[in-house]
Amino acid sequence: MTTLTPIPGGRAVHPAAPSPATAPPPRRQGGTILAVPALLWYLVFMVGPMAAIFVIAALHWPGMLQPVSFAGLGNLRTVLDDPVFWDAVRNTAVQLAVALPVMIVCAFMLGYYVAQRPPGHRVIRYLLFIPGLISTPAKAMVCYAALSPDGLLNGALKGVGLGSLTDAWLASPSTALACLIGLDLWSGIGFTAVLFAARLDGVPEELGEAAHLDGAGHWRTMWRIHFPVVRDYVGVVTMLQFLWTLFGSAQHVLLLTQGGPGTSSTTLSFLVYQKAFIAADLGYSQTVGVILFLTGLAGLLAIRRLFRQTY
Amino acid sequence: MKLGKRWLPAHVLVWTYAALLLVPLYYLLASAFKSNDEIFGRPFAPPVSFGLGNFRTAFTRADLGLAVVNSLLVTVLALALTLLLALPAAFALGRSTGRAAAALERVFSLGFLIPTFAALFPTFLLAAATGLFHTRTFMVLFLPATALPLSVVILVQFMRTVPRELEEAARLDGASTYAVLRHVHTPMCLPGIATVLLLNFLSFWNEYLYSLVIIGPDPAQRTVQVALPTLKAITGTDYGVLTAGTVLTLVPVWIVYTLLQKRMQQSLVSGAVKM
Repeated sequence: MTTLTPIPGGRAVHPAAPSPATAPPPRRQGGTILAVPALLWYLVFMVGPMAAIFVIAALHWPGMLQPVSFAGLGNLRTVLDDPVFWDAVRNTAVQLAVALPVMIVCAFMLGYYVAQRPPGHRVIRYLLFIPGLISTPAKAMVCYAALSPDGLLNGALKGVGLGSLTDAWLASPSTALACLIGLDLWSGIGFTAVLFAARLDGVPEELGEAAHLDGAGHWRTMWRIHFPVVRDYVGVVTMLQFLWTLFGSAQHVLLLTQGGPGTSSTTLSFLVYQKAFIAADLGYSQTVGVILFLTGLAGLLAIRRLFRQTY
Repeated sequence: MKLGKRWLPAHVLVWTYAALLLVPLYYLLASAFKSNDEIFGRPFAPPVSFGLGNFRTAFTRADLGLAVVNSLLVTVLALALTLLLALPAAFALGRSTGRAAAALERVFSLGFLIPTFAALFPTFLLAAATGLFHTRTFMVLFLPATALPLSVVILVQFMRTVPRELEEAARLDGASTYAVLRHVHTPMCLPGIATVLLLNFLSFWNEYLYSLVIIGPDPAQRTVQVALPTLKAITGTDYGVLTAGTVLTLVPVWIVYTLLQKRMQQSLVSGAVKM
Protein backbone atom coordinates (compact mmCIF):
# COMPACT_ATOMS: atom_id res chain seq x y z
CA MET A 1 0.00 0.00 0.00
CA THR A 2 2.55 2.51 1.12
CA THR A 3 4.80 1.78 -1.78
CA LEU A 4 1.99 1.83 -4.30
CA THR A 5 0.41 5.14 -3.53
CA PRO A 6 3.24 7.45 -4.56
CA ILE A 7 3.49 5.86 -8.00
CA PRO A 8 0.16 6.89 -9.50
CA GLY A 9 0.59 10.28 -7.93
CA GLY A 10 4.07 10.60 -9.33
CA ARG A 11 2.99 9.51 -12.73
CA ALA A 12 0.13 11.93 -12.78
CA VAL A 13 2.26 14.86 -11.75
CA HIS A 14 5.43 14.35 -13.74
CA PRO A 15 4.08 14.48 -17.27
CA ALA A 16 1.98 17.49 -16.39
CA ALA A 17 4.70 19.54 -14.77
CA PRO A 18 6.61 20.60 -17.93
CA SER A 19 3.57 21.77 -19.79
CA PRO A 20 3.19 25.51 -19.09
CA ALA A 21 -0.61 25.49 -19.40
CA THR A 22 -1.17 23.43 -16.26
CA ALA A 23 1.82 24.64 -14.26
CA PRO A 24 0.76 25.85 -10.82
CA PRO A 25 1.25 29.60 -10.24
CA PRO A 26 4.59 30.34 -8.57
CA ARG A 27 4.23 30.04 -4.82
CA ARG A 28 4.46 33.32 -3.04
CA GLN A 29 6.92 33.42 -0.21
CA GLY A 30 6.13 34.42 3.34
CA GLY A 31 2.41 33.79 3.14
CA THR A 32 -0.04 33.42 5.94
CA ILE A 33 2.71 33.03 8.53
CA LEU A 34 2.90 36.82 8.83
CA ALA A 35 -0.56 36.81 10.34
CA VAL A 36 0.52 34.55 13.18
CA PRO A 37 1.80 37.21 15.63
CA ALA A 38 -1.44 39.14 15.37
CA LEU A 39 -3.42 35.96 15.81
CA LEU A 40 -1.41 34.95 18.88
CA TRP A 41 -1.82 38.39 20.39
CA TYR A 42 -5.52 38.17 19.78
CA LEU A 43 -5.80 34.69 21.29
CA VAL A 44 -3.80 35.56 24.42
CA PHE A 45 -5.42 38.88 25.24
CA MET A 46 -8.97 38.47 23.91
CA VAL A 47 -10.03 34.88 23.37
CA GLY A 48 -8.18 33.52 26.41
CA PRO A 49 -9.83 35.86 28.93
CA MET A 50 -13.18 35.27 27.22
CA ALA A 51 -12.82 31.51 27.69
CA ALA A 52 -11.65 32.01 31.27
CA ILE A 53 -15.01 33.56 32.14
CA PHE A 54 -16.63 30.16 31.64
CA VAL A 55 -14.08 28.43 33.85
CA ILE A 56 -14.25 30.91 36.70
CA ALA A 57 -18.04 30.75 36.60
CA ALA A 58 -17.78 27.15 37.75
CA LEU A 59 -15.54 27.97 40.72
CA HIS A 60 -16.29 28.88 44.29
CA TRP A 61 -13.89 31.78 44.79
CA PRO A 62 -14.77 34.16 47.60
CA GLY A 63 -11.90 36.63 47.05
CA MET A 64 -8.56 37.05 45.30
CA LEU A 65 -6.48 35.51 48.10
CA GLN A 66 -9.04 32.96 49.28
CA PRO A 67 -8.83 29.24 48.48
CA VAL A 68 -10.58 28.19 45.30
CA SER A 69 -12.84 25.18 45.05
CA PHE A 70 -14.97 23.68 42.32
CA ALA A 71 -18.58 24.72 42.53
CA GLY A 72 -20.11 23.32 39.35
CA LEU A 73 -23.51 24.85 38.89
CA GLY A 74 -23.58 26.07 42.50
CA ASN A 75 -22.88 29.65 41.45
CA LEU A 76 -25.72 29.57 38.98
CA ARG A 77 -28.11 28.52 41.75
CA THR A 78 -26.85 31.32 44.01
CA VAL A 79 -27.22 33.86 41.23
CA LEU A 80 -30.74 32.77 40.29
CA ASP A 81 -31.83 32.86 43.97
CA ASP A 82 -30.48 36.38 44.44
CA PRO A 83 -33.10 39.14 44.21
CA VAL A 84 -30.35 41.63 43.29
CA PHE A 85 -29.67 39.64 40.12
CA TRP A 86 -33.33 39.84 39.13
CA ASP A 87 -33.34 43.60 39.80
CA ALA A 88 -30.37 43.87 37.48
CA VAL A 89 -32.14 41.78 34.83
CA ARG A 90 -35.16 44.04 35.06
CA ASN A 91 -33.05 47.21 34.83
CA THR A 92 -31.09 45.89 31.85
CA ALA A 93 -34.30 44.82 30.13
CA VAL A 94 -35.84 48.26 30.67
CA GLN A 95 -32.66 49.95 29.47
CA LEU A 96 -32.52 47.89 26.28
CA ALA A 97 -36.24 48.04 25.59
CA VAL A 98 -36.32 51.83 25.87
CA ALA A 99 -32.91 52.95 24.65
CA LEU A 100 -32.46 50.68 21.63
CA PRO A 101 -35.71 51.26 19.66
CA VAL A 102 -35.80 54.98 20.45
CA MET A 103 -32.17 55.40 19.48
CA ILE A 104 -32.39 53.49 16.20
CA VAL A 105 -35.66 55.07 15.05
CA CYS A 106 -34.63 58.63 15.97
CA ALA A 107 -31.16 58.17 14.54
CA PHE A 108 -32.54 56.82 11.28
CA MET A 109 -34.90 59.76 10.87
CA LEU A 110 -32.15 62.19 11.81
CA GLY A 111 -29.80 60.49 9.38
CA TYR A 112 -32.42 60.75 6.63
CA TYR A 113 -32.87 64.44 7.45
CA VAL A 114 -29.16 65.14 7.24
CA ALA A 115 -28.80 63.11 4.04
CA GLN A 116 -31.35 65.40 2.31
CA ARG A 117 -28.79 68.21 2.79
CA PRO A 118 -31.08 70.82 4.36
CA PRO A 119 -29.60 74.25 5.11
CA GLY A 120 -27.00 74.01 7.83
CA HIS A 121 -26.49 70.27 7.45
CA ARG A 122 -22.72 70.65 7.67
CA VAL A 123 -22.99 72.29 11.09
CA ILE A 124 -25.40 69.57 12.19
CA ARG A 125 -23.03 66.86 11.02
CA TYR A 126 -20.20 68.44 12.99
CA LEU A 127 -22.31 68.69 16.13
CA LEU A 128 -23.76 65.19 15.89
CA PHE A 129 -20.29 63.79 16.07
CA ILE A 130 -19.38 65.40 19.37
CA PRO A 131 -20.62 62.56 21.62
CA GLY A 132 -18.61 60.09 19.57
CA LEU A 133 -15.43 61.91 20.52
CA ILE A 134 -15.98 62.35 24.23
CA SER A 135 -14.64 59.71 26.59
CA THR A 136 -16.95 57.97 29.02
CA PRO A 137 -15.61 59.76 32.11
CA ALA A 138 -15.97 63.12 30.39
CA LYS A 139 -19.54 62.25 29.36
CA ALA A 140 -20.26 61.22 32.91
CA MET A 141 -18.84 64.53 34.18
CA VAL A 142 -21.07 66.44 31.75
CA CYS A 143 -24.02 64.39 32.93
CA TYR A 144 -23.06 64.96 36.56
CA ALA A 145 -22.75 68.70 36.04
CA ALA A 146 -26.15 68.75 34.34
CA LEU A 147 -28.10 66.55 36.73
CA SER A 148 -26.58 67.03 40.19
CA PRO A 149 -28.83 68.77 42.77
CA ASP A 150 -27.44 72.21 41.99
CA GLY A 151 -26.54 71.50 38.40
CA LEU A 152 -27.68 72.71 35.01
CA LEU A 153 -31.15 71.15 34.82
CA ASN A 154 -32.28 72.26 38.26
CA GLY A 155 -30.85 75.71 37.61
CA ALA A 156 -32.82 75.92 34.38
CA LEU A 157 -36.02 74.73 36.09
CA LYS A 158 -35.63 77.36 38.82
CA GLY A 159 -34.89 79.95 36.18
CA VAL A 160 -38.24 79.42 34.43
CA GLY A 161 -40.19 79.27 37.69
CA LEU A 162 -40.59 75.50 37.92
CA GLY A 163 -38.51 75.18 41.07
CA SER A 164 -40.96 72.66 42.54
CA LEU A 165 -39.98 70.11 39.87
CA THR A 166 -36.32 70.03 40.86
CA ASP A 167 -34.98 66.73 42.07
CA ALA A 168 -31.72 65.01 42.96
CA TRP A 169 -32.01 63.23 39.62
CA LEU A 170 -29.12 60.79 39.97
CA ALA A 171 -29.80 60.00 43.63
CA SER A 172 -33.51 59.35 43.38
CA PRO A 173 -34.62 55.72 42.92
CA SER A 174 -37.32 56.69 40.45
CA THR A 175 -35.09 58.68 38.11
CA ALA A 176 -31.58 57.17 38.38
CA LEU A 177 -32.12 54.54 35.67
CA ALA A 178 -33.93 57.07 33.49
CA CYS A 179 -30.90 59.36 33.72
CA LEU A 180 -28.61 56.57 32.53
CA ILE A 181 -30.94 55.81 29.62
CA GLY A 182 -31.07 59.52 28.86
CA LEU A 183 -27.29 59.65 28.73
CA ASP A 184 -27.25 56.66 26.33
CA LEU A 185 -29.75 58.39 24.09
CA TRP A 186 -28.11 61.79 24.27
CA SER A 187 -24.78 60.43 23.16
CA GLY A 188 -26.00 57.54 21.00
CA ILE A 189 -28.52 59.19 18.68
CA GLY A 190 -26.11 61.69 17.17
CA PHE A 191 -23.32 59.24 16.50
CA THR A 192 -25.68 56.62 15.06
CA ALA A 193 -27.37 59.25 12.91
CA VAL A 194 -24.04 60.11 11.29
CA LEU A 195 -23.54 56.44 10.46
CA PHE A 196 -26.99 56.27 8.87
CA ALA A 197 -26.49 59.56 7.03
CA ALA A 198 -23.26 58.25 5.52
CA ARG A 199 -25.05 55.12 4.30
CA LEU A 200 -28.08 57.05 3.03
CA ASP A 201 -25.76 59.39 1.10
CA GLY A 202 -24.94 56.34 -1.00
CA VAL A 203 -28.55 55.61 -1.94
CA PRO A 204 -29.19 56.82 -5.52
CA GLU A 205 -31.24 60.03 -5.53
CA GLU A 206 -33.45 58.74 -8.36
CA LEU A 207 -35.07 56.33 -5.94
CA GLY A 208 -36.47 59.13 -3.78
CA GLU A 209 -37.34 61.29 -6.77
CA ALA A 210 -39.30 58.50 -8.43
CA ALA A 211 -41.28 58.00 -5.24
CA HIS A 212 -42.01 61.74 -5.10
CA LEU A 213 -43.32 61.76 -8.66
CA ASP A 214 -45.69 59.03 -7.58
CA GLY A 215 -46.95 61.39 -4.90
CA ALA A 216 -45.22 59.85 -1.90
CA GLY A 217 -44.31 62.26 0.90
CA HIS A 218 -41.01 62.25 2.76
CA TRP A 219 -42.45 60.13 5.55
CA ARG A 220 -43.45 57.41 3.10
CA THR A 221 -40.23 57.68 1.12
CA MET A 222 -38.16 57.40 4.26
CA TRP A 223 -39.78 54.24 5.58
CA ARG A 224 -40.97 52.55 2.37
CA ILE A 225 -38.08 53.33 -0.01
CA HIS A 226 -34.93 54.18 1.91
CA PHE A 227 -35.38 51.97 4.92
CA PRO A 228 -35.73 48.72 2.93
CA VAL A 229 -32.66 49.62 0.86
CA VAL A 230 -30.41 50.06 3.88
CA ARG A 231 -32.20 47.49 6.03
CA ASP A 232 -29.21 45.20 6.55
CA TYR A 233 -27.03 48.15 7.46
CA VAL A 234 -29.58 49.26 10.06
CA GLY A 235 -29.38 45.71 11.39
CA VAL A 236 -25.61 45.89 11.78
CA VAL A 237 -25.76 49.24 13.56
CA THR A 238 -28.53 47.93 15.82
CA MET A 239 -26.34 44.96 16.73
CA LEU A 240 -23.45 47.23 17.68
CA GLN A 241 -25.64 49.55 19.73
CA PHE A 242 -27.18 46.53 21.43
CA LEU A 243 -23.76 45.26 22.44
CA TRP A 244 -22.54 48.68 23.58
CA THR A 245 -25.65 49.19 25.69
CA LEU A 246 -25.63 45.68 27.13
CA PHE A 247 -21.94 45.54 28.07
CA GLY A 248 -20.96 49.19 28.24
CA SER A 249 -23.48 50.37 30.80
CA ALA A 250 -21.13 49.33 33.63
CA GLN A 251 -18.97 52.40 33.07
CA HIS A 252 -21.79 54.94 33.28
CA VAL A 253 -23.30 53.23 36.31
CA LEU A 254 -19.94 53.10 38.05
CA LEU A 255 -19.25 56.78 37.43
CA LEU A 256 -22.71 58.19 38.11
CA THR A 257 -24.82 56.11 40.48
CA GLN A 258 -22.78 53.12 41.70
CA GLY A 259 -25.89 51.04 41.00
CA GLY A 260 -27.97 52.88 43.55
CA PRO A 261 -29.92 54.07 45.31
CA GLY A 262 -30.45 50.51 46.52
CA THR A 263 -30.39 48.47 43.35
CA SER A 264 -32.49 50.86 41.30
CA SER A 265 -29.81 51.41 38.66
CA THR A 266 -27.79 48.19 38.92
CA THR A 267 -27.48 46.70 35.44
CA LEU A 268 -26.16 43.25 34.62
CA SER A 269 -22.82 44.49 33.37
CA PHE A 270 -22.36 46.64 36.47
CA LEU A 271 -23.21 43.60 38.61
CA VAL A 272 -20.31 41.74 36.96
CA TYR A 273 -17.98 44.59 37.88
CA GLN A 274 -19.37 45.10 41.37
CA LYS A 275 -19.22 41.44 42.39
CA ALA A 276 -15.68 41.10 41.07
CA PHE A 277 -14.02 44.27 42.32
CA ILE A 278 -16.16 45.49 45.21
CA ALA A 279 -17.89 42.43 46.70
CA ALA A 280 -15.05 40.01 45.77
CA ASP A 281 -17.40 37.16 44.90
CA LEU A 282 -15.62 36.06 41.77
CA GLY A 283 -17.59 32.95 40.88
CA TYR A 284 -20.84 34.91 41.14
CA SER A 285 -19.43 37.76 39.04
CA GLN A 286 -18.29 35.53 36.20
CA THR A 287 -21.50 33.51 36.27
CA VAL A 288 -23.35 36.73 35.55
CA GLY A 289 -20.65 37.33 32.91
CA VAL A 290 -21.55 34.05 31.21
CA ILE A 291 -25.26 34.93 31.33
CA LEU A 292 -24.46 38.33 29.86
CA PHE A 293 -22.37 36.75 27.10
CA LEU A 294 -25.13 34.30 26.18
CA THR A 295 -27.70 37.10 26.24
CA GLY A 296 -25.48 39.08 23.90
CA LEU A 297 -25.19 36.13 21.51
CA ALA A 298 -28.94 35.44 21.55
CA GLY A 299 -29.65 39.14 21.03
CA LEU A 300 -27.29 39.31 18.05
CA LEU A 301 -28.95 36.35 16.37
CA ALA A 302 -32.41 37.76 17.06
CA ILE A 303 -31.50 41.17 15.63
CA ARG A 304 -29.93 39.57 12.59
CA ARG A 305 -33.13 37.63 11.94
CA LEU A 306 -35.26 40.71 12.46
CA PHE A 307 -33.32 42.75 9.91
CA ARG A 308 -32.75 40.03 7.33
CA GLN A 309 -32.94 41.53 3.86
CA THR A 310 -36.44 40.82 2.57
CA TYR A 311 -36.46 42.09 -0.97
CA MET B 1 -35.56 66.99 -3.56
CA LYS B 2 -37.25 70.10 -2.22
CA LEU B 3 -37.95 70.36 1.46
CA GLY B 4 -41.36 71.93 1.83
CA LYS B 5 -43.04 73.81 4.64
CA ARG B 6 -44.10 70.56 6.26
CA TRP B 7 -40.49 70.10 7.23
CA LEU B 8 -40.72 72.81 9.86
CA PRO B 9 -41.29 70.35 12.74
CA ALA B 10 -38.30 68.32 11.56
CA HIS B 11 -36.06 71.41 11.47
CA VAL B 12 -37.18 72.37 14.97
CA LEU B 13 -36.62 68.88 16.38
CA VAL B 14 -33.21 68.48 14.80
CA TRP B 15 -31.94 71.86 15.95
CA THR B 16 -33.34 71.23 19.43
CA TYR B 17 -31.29 68.06 19.62
CA ALA B 18 -28.25 69.89 18.27
CA ALA B 19 -28.74 72.45 21.02
CA LEU B 20 -29.00 69.66 23.58
CA LEU B 21 -25.61 68.46 22.39
CA LEU B 22 -24.15 71.92 22.51
CA VAL B 23 -25.59 73.38 25.72
CA PRO B 24 -23.86 71.00 28.16
CA LEU B 25 -20.59 71.60 26.35
CA TYR B 26 -21.08 75.35 26.51
CA TYR B 27 -21.92 75.01 30.20
CA LEU B 28 -18.78 72.97 30.67
CA LEU B 29 -16.60 75.49 28.91
CA ALA B 30 -18.20 78.53 30.59
CA SER B 31 -18.12 76.99 34.07
CA ALA B 32 -14.44 76.22 33.74
CA PHE B 33 -13.80 79.98 34.06
CA LYS B 34 -16.24 80.64 36.90
CA SER B 35 -16.45 80.22 40.65
CA ASN B 36 -19.10 78.08 42.32
CA ASP B 37 -21.23 81.12 43.20
CA GLU B 38 -21.29 82.30 39.61
CA ILE B 39 -22.11 78.81 38.34
CA PHE B 40 -25.11 78.37 40.62
CA GLY B 41 -26.27 81.97 40.44
CA ARG B 42 -26.28 82.36 36.66
CA PRO B 43 -25.54 78.97 35.07
CA PHE B 44 -25.88 80.19 31.48
CA ALA B 45 -24.15 83.55 31.73
CA PRO B 46 -20.83 83.79 29.90
CA PRO B 47 -17.81 83.99 32.20
CA VAL B 48 -16.81 87.44 33.42
CA SER B 49 -13.08 86.86 33.21
CA PHE B 50 -10.95 84.25 31.57
CA GLY B 51 -8.66 83.49 34.50
CA LEU B 52 -6.99 80.10 34.42
CA GLY B 53 -7.24 79.53 38.18
CA ASN B 54 -9.58 76.54 37.88
CA PHE B 55 -7.34 74.90 35.32
CA ARG B 56 -4.31 75.41 37.54
CA THR B 57 -6.13 73.89 40.52
CA ALA B 58 -7.30 70.91 38.48
CA PHE B 59 -3.81 70.44 37.14
CA THR B 60 -2.13 70.35 40.53
CA ARG B 61 -4.82 68.70 42.65
CA ALA B 62 -5.33 65.69 40.39
CA ASP B 63 -1.83 65.65 38.89
CA LEU B 64 -3.41 66.05 35.48
CA GLY B 65 -0.13 67.04 33.82
CA LEU B 66 1.47 63.72 34.65
CA ALA B 67 -1.75 61.94 33.71
CA VAL B 68 -1.71 63.53 30.25
CA VAL B 69 1.87 62.37 29.75
CA ASN B 70 0.90 58.85 30.83
CA SER B 71 -2.07 58.84 28.47
CA LEU B 72 0.07 60.03 25.57
CA LEU B 73 2.70 57.41 26.34
CA VAL B 74 0.20 54.56 26.47
CA THR B 75 -1.68 55.78 23.39
CA VAL B 76 1.38 56.29 21.19
CA LEU B 77 3.09 53.03 22.12
CA ALA B 78 -0.12 51.03 21.78
CA LEU B 79 -0.74 52.60 18.37
CA ALA B 80 2.76 51.65 17.24
CA LEU B 81 2.32 48.08 18.41
CA THR B 82 -1.09 47.86 16.74
CA LEU B 83 0.44 48.79 13.39
CA LEU B 84 3.38 46.46 13.93
CA LEU B 85 0.99 43.54 14.40
CA ALA B 86 -1.82 44.50 12.04
CA LEU B 87 0.22 45.51 8.98
CA PRO B 88 2.00 42.17 8.39
CA ALA B 89 -1.20 40.28 9.19
CA ALA B 90 -3.25 42.33 6.74
CA PHE B 91 -0.45 42.04 4.16
CA ALA B 92 -0.48 38.25 4.47
CA LEU B 93 -4.25 37.89 4.47
CA GLY B 94 -4.76 40.37 1.66
CA ARG B 95 -2.37 38.67 -0.79
CA SER B 96 -3.10 35.10 0.08
CA THR B 97 -5.85 33.14 -1.59
CA GLY B 98 -5.62 30.01 0.53
CA ARG B 99 -8.31 28.59 2.70
CA ALA B 100 -6.36 29.17 5.92
CA ALA B 101 -6.11 32.87 5.16
CA ALA B 102 -9.83 33.12 4.46
CA ALA B 103 -10.58 31.39 7.77
CA LEU B 104 -8.20 33.72 9.62
CA GLU B 105 -9.82 36.76 8.10
CA ARG B 106 -13.17 35.46 9.26
CA VAL B 107 -11.84 34.98 12.80
CA PHE B 108 -10.70 38.59 12.87
CA SER B 109 -13.95 39.97 11.50
CA LEU B 110 -15.95 37.98 14.06
CA GLY B 111 -13.71 39.31 16.81
CA PHE B 112 -15.11 42.69 15.96
CA LEU B 113 -18.29 41.56 17.69
CA ILE B 114 -16.61 40.54 20.95
CA PRO B 115 -17.30 43.36 23.35
CA THR B 116 -14.03 44.42 24.88
CA PHE B 117 -15.28 45.01 28.38
CA ALA B 118 -16.83 41.55 28.77
CA ALA B 119 -13.66 39.91 30.03
CA LEU B 120 -12.47 42.54 32.49
CA PHE B 121 -11.84 40.24 35.41
CA PRO B 122 -9.96 37.49 33.54
CA THR B 123 -7.82 40.19 31.93
CA PHE B 124 -7.07 41.50 35.38
CA LEU B 125 -5.97 37.96 36.36
CA LEU B 126 -3.77 37.82 33.27
CA ALA B 127 -2.14 41.08 34.29
CA ALA B 128 -1.54 39.73 37.78
CA ALA B 129 -0.17 36.42 36.45
CA THR B 130 2.31 38.14 34.12
CA GLY B 131 3.49 40.42 36.91
CA LEU B 132 2.37 43.47 34.96
CA PHE B 133 -0.46 44.46 37.27
CA HIS B 134 -0.46 48.18 38.09
CA THR B 135 1.78 49.00 35.14
CA ARG B 136 1.21 50.96 31.97
CA THR B 137 3.12 48.24 30.14
CA PHE B 138 0.21 45.83 30.35
CA MET B 139 -2.12 48.39 28.81
CA VAL B 140 0.36 48.99 25.98
CA LEU B 141 0.35 45.27 25.30
CA PHE B 142 -3.36 44.76 25.84
CA LEU B 143 -4.93 47.67 23.93
CA PRO B 144 -3.61 46.57 20.50
CA ALA B 145 -5.35 43.21 20.97
CA THR B 146 -8.69 44.96 21.35
CA ALA B 147 -7.97 47.00 18.22
CA LEU B 148 -6.68 44.17 16.04
CA PRO B 149 -9.92 42.80 14.55
CA LEU B 150 -11.03 46.17 13.23
CA SER B 151 -7.54 47.25 12.16
CA VAL B 152 -6.83 44.02 10.29
CA VAL B 153 -10.21 44.04 8.56
CA ILE B 154 -9.77 47.63 7.39
CA LEU B 155 -6.15 47.17 6.28
CA VAL B 156 -6.87 43.94 4.38
CA GLN B 157 -9.26 45.85 2.16
CA PHE B 158 -6.55 48.37 1.34
CA MET B 159 -3.93 45.65 0.76
CA ARG B 160 -6.26 44.04 -1.81
CA THR B 161 -6.17 47.20 -3.92
CA VAL B 162 -2.39 46.92 -4.47
CA PRO B 163 -1.86 45.51 -7.99
CA ARG B 164 -0.19 42.12 -8.12
CA GLU B 165 2.20 43.29 -10.85
CA LEU B 166 3.89 45.72 -8.47
CA GLU B 167 4.91 42.92 -6.18
CA GLU B 168 6.05 40.74 -9.06
CA ALA B 169 8.20 43.57 -10.40
CA ALA B 170 9.76 44.06 -7.00
CA ARG B 171 10.39 40.32 -6.71
CA LEU B 172 12.21 40.31 -10.03
CA ASP B 173 14.48 42.98 -8.60
CA GLY B 174 15.23 40.57 -5.77
CA ALA B 175 13.13 42.17 -3.06
CA SER B 176 12.44 40.10 0.03
CA THR B 177 8.95 39.69 1.49
CA TYR B 178 9.79 42.27 4.10
CA ALA B 179 10.98 44.70 1.45
CA VAL B 180 7.77 44.20 -0.53
CA LEU B 181 5.71 44.98 2.57
CA ARG B 182 7.89 47.93 3.49
CA HIS B 183 8.34 49.57 0.09
CA VAL B 184 5.37 48.45 -2.00
CA HIS B 185 2.33 47.78 0.18
CA THR B 186 2.81 50.12 3.12
CA PRO B 187 3.10 53.32 1.05
CA MET B 188 0.03 52.37 -0.95
CA CYS B 189 -1.99 51.69 2.18
CA LEU B 190 -1.30 55.05 3.83
CA PRO B 191 -4.97 56.14 3.78
CA GLY B 192 -5.91 52.89 5.48
CA ILE B 193 -3.14 53.31 8.02
CA ALA B 194 -4.35 56.84 8.74
CA THR B 195 -7.87 55.52 9.29
CA VAL B 196 -6.66 52.84 11.66
CA LEU B 197 -4.50 55.30 13.59
CA LEU B 198 -7.29 57.84 13.97
CA LEU B 199 -9.86 55.30 15.11
CA ASN B 200 -7.55 53.71 17.60
CA PHE B 201 -6.27 57.05 18.82
CA LEU B 202 -9.82 57.84 19.88
CA SER B 203 -10.49 54.55 21.59
CA PHE B 204 -7.07 54.33 23.28
CA TRP B 205 -7.12 57.90 24.53
CA ASN B 206 -10.69 57.50 25.80
CA GLU B 207 -10.24 54.05 27.36
CA TYR B 208 -11.47 54.07 30.95
CA LEU B 209 -12.53 50.84 32.66
CA TYR B 210 -9.45 48.73 31.91
CA SER B 211 -7.11 51.57 32.77
CA LEU B 212 -8.93 52.05 36.05
CA VAL B 213 -8.71 48.40 37.05
CA ILE B 214 -5.30 47.51 35.65
CA ILE B 215 -3.19 50.64 35.97
CA GLY B 216 -4.97 51.64 39.13
CA PRO B 217 -5.10 54.89 41.06
CA ASP B 218 -1.33 55.49 41.48
CA PRO B 219 -0.85 59.11 40.33
CA ALA B 220 2.54 58.26 38.81
CA GLN B 221 1.01 55.70 36.43
CA ARG B 222 -2.64 56.51 35.88
CA THR B 223 -4.04 57.89 32.66
CA VAL B 224 -5.99 61.08 32.29
CA GLN B 225 -9.35 59.29 32.03
CA VAL B 226 -8.74 57.68 35.41
CA ALA B 227 -7.51 60.90 36.97
CA LEU B 228 -10.48 62.92 35.80
CA PRO B 229 -13.24 61.32 37.91
CA THR B 230 -11.07 61.62 41.02
CA LEU B 231 -11.55 65.38 40.78
CA LYS B 232 -15.15 64.83 41.87
CA ALA B 233 -13.97 63.29 45.13
CA ILE B 234 -11.00 65.61 45.70
CA THR B 235 -12.73 68.90 45.11
CA GLY B 236 -16.13 67.92 46.50
CA THR B 237 -18.53 70.23 44.77
CA ASP B 238 -16.13 72.69 43.20
CA TYR B 239 -17.72 72.57 39.77
CA GLY B 240 -15.36 75.11 38.31
CA VAL B 241 -12.38 72.85 38.88
CA LEU B 242 -14.31 69.74 37.81
CA THR B 243 -15.36 71.25 34.51
CA ALA B 244 -11.91 72.73 33.91
CA GLY B 245 -10.41 69.25 34.27
CA THR B 246 -12.97 67.79 31.86
CA VAL B 247 -12.20 70.49 29.29
CA LEU B 248 -8.49 69.72 29.59
CA THR B 249 -8.98 66.05 28.69
CA LEU B 250 -11.14 66.97 25.72
CA VAL B 251 -8.67 69.39 24.17
CA PRO B 252 -6.42 66.90 22.33
CA VAL B 253 -9.36 65.06 20.80
CA TRP B 254 -11.02 68.29 19.85
CA ILE B 255 -7.95 69.63 18.11
CA VAL B 256 -7.53 66.41 16.15
CA TYR B 257 -11.22 66.35 15.25
CA THR B 258 -11.37 69.92 14.03
CA LEU B 259 -8.18 69.58 11.99
CA LEU B 260 -9.10 66.26 10.45
CA GLN B 261 -12.88 66.41 10.55
CA LYS B 262 -13.54 64.89 7.13
CA ARG B 263 -11.03 62.09 7.50
CA MET B 264 -12.17 61.36 11.05
CA GLN B 265 -15.83 61.08 10.09
CA GLN B 266 -14.95 58.72 7.27
CA SER B 267 -12.81 56.70 9.69
CA LEU B 268 -15.46 56.42 12.34
CA VAL B 269 -18.12 55.54 9.82
CA SER B 270 -16.00 52.89 8.13
CA GLY B 271 -14.82 51.69 11.51
CA ALA B 272 -18.23 51.20 13.00
CA VAL B 273 -19.59 49.11 10.20
CA LYS B 274 -16.97 47.06 8.40
CA MET B 275 -18.07 43.51 8.87
